[in-house]
Amino acid sequence: MSRLTSPTSSTVGQKILVACTGLLLCGFLVVHLAGNLLLFVGPEAYNAYAHKLHSYEPLVKVAEVVLFLLFASHIVLAVRLSIRNRRARGSAYAMSVSKRDDRILGVRLDYWMLPTGLVVLAFLLLHLVDFTWELRPDVTYAELEPYEKALALLTSWPTIVGYSVGTIILGAHLLHGAPSLLQTLGINHPRYNKCIKLLGGLFAVVIALGFFSLVLWANWFEHGGGHG
Amino acid sequence: MSDQRMRITLKIWRQAGPQARGEFRTYRLDDVNPHMSFLEMLDVLNERLIAQGEDPVAFDHDCREGICGMCSLMINGQAHGPLKETTTCQLHMRHFRDGDTIVVEPWRARAFPIVKDLVVDRSAFDRIMAAGGYVSVNTGNAPEANTIPVPKDTAEKALDAAQCIGCGACVAACKNASAMLFVSAKVSHLKLMPQGHPERQRRVLRMVAQMDAEGFGGCTNTSECEAACPMGISVENIARLNREYLRAELCRES
Ligand code: HEM
Ligand code: FES
Repeated sequence: MSRLTSPTSSTVGQKILVACTGLLLCGFLVVHLAGNLLLFVGPEAYNAYAHKLHSYEPLVKVAEVVLFLLFASHIVLAVRLSIRNRRARGSAYAMSVSKRDDRILGVRLDYWMLPTGLVVLAFLLLHLVDFTWELRPDVTYAELEPYEKALALLTSWPTIVGYSVGTIILGAHLLHGAPSLLQTLGINHPRYNKCIKLLGGLFAVVIALGFFSLVLWANWFEHGGGHG
Repeated sequence: MSDQRMRITLKIWRQAGPQARGEFRTYRLDDVNPHMSFLEMLDVLNERLIAQGEDPVAFDHDCREGICGMCSLMINGQAHGPLKETTTCQLHMRHFRDGDTIVVEPWRARAFPIVKDLVVDRSAFDRIMAAGGYVSVNTGNAPEANTIPVPKDTAEKALDAAQCIGCGACVAACKNASAMLFVSAKVSHLKLMPQGHPERQRRVLRMVAQMDAEGFGGCTNTSECEAACPMGISVENIARLNREYLRAELCRES
């Protein structure tokens, strides 16, 4: 039999790739959060971690390229699918009412994947400006150790606002995304569907609150407490 | 059950032809028997329109017993109306209240162009079936049914999927006008049976390709299709289609 299709040529194949990239990005989030929770431990631990991470620059570059490709393919495929999905309706209904009765408080995060994704993208760009490109005019980056740099940024108001919104919206993206990606990869069975929904939701909440807690801690505990 | 006649206001989408501009028109019925089905209520309206020399409302129907899948109506924003696992022809007026206003629209999807009023062209589904929704068998005497053993639970799953009547409610209810529940039901019921196995790889790839070519949207795991399906077909079938697709793409023998 000849090749009828390539994986990216169909909506199903594209969606599977969105799920795969989404899954790998979730993996990155776990590692990234684990590393940054060292802020709670103190300057020595955090600085040691940051210096170690950047002790071999070529490896960091490889990781950056991989991350860039993951984000780029996730975004390009997801946006393309979203545009196609919008077009497929044709003319709009005058009235449209859900028949689902299993939604919690009627919230439809699955309808908001593109908007929440775009907010996450804006958050990501702000984060890169803050930490990677070091472009914030209101922060003097020179001579700051990683711990001090993180604190200086996390206590500045653009970061407080941007990261609070960003992490919560990331949670909203994952609240649908995490269980959804398993369905996309074909993982669905009456025996463990409840478990998937629960653990997926838990994952989203833990990731979102985990990152959000760094903002809270920097402003209300570390800053006020006068550590270091 | 009350026999009290009902007053119903209908806002029905009227569109003279595929290219014509449509609009809602309002009709009042003052003497609706609560035991009428929704389609019988439309029959009554049409008899009145014909008597008045007006064009009757075009709507699809055939069996009127919930098995053919023709009666495709969006009723108050819900495919086949407010009840679960019920086709429009099986929906009775007693589920509405005296004085209600009911909005009636056709399925709306680029792949289901409107023919007239509430009638849409669903031949896209036929073309998806023609692309792979079959098993190739020699004609002649039917083989003895019990020569190929099928485990009971597998047969049950295949039969659950085979309940799909191709009405298109999944497409109508999905925010992406996606046909994934329909296609996955067909892929599942054929794949699960031994007779469907030999063609399973080609089938899923071809049916998905045709589904895309028809202009349906993709699946975003919103599960509105499952809730709207008059046969209660589960999105478990969509997961199965995804597995079949992955397997066909990645693990093909040839
Ligand atoms: C850390 C960053 C991100 C993670 C971990 C993530 C994760 C995910 C996951 C797990 C899914 C579900 C896939 C599925 O349903 O099978 C998803 C879907 C989606 N993502 Fe993201 N995402 C991220 C960033 C973004 C960004 C920046 C965008 C920007 C546009 C975006 C747009 C979307 C869209 C539109 C969908 C739905 C696609 C569809 O259902 O067809 N995501 N994401
Ligand atoms: S008319 Fe046949 S299912 Fe309703």
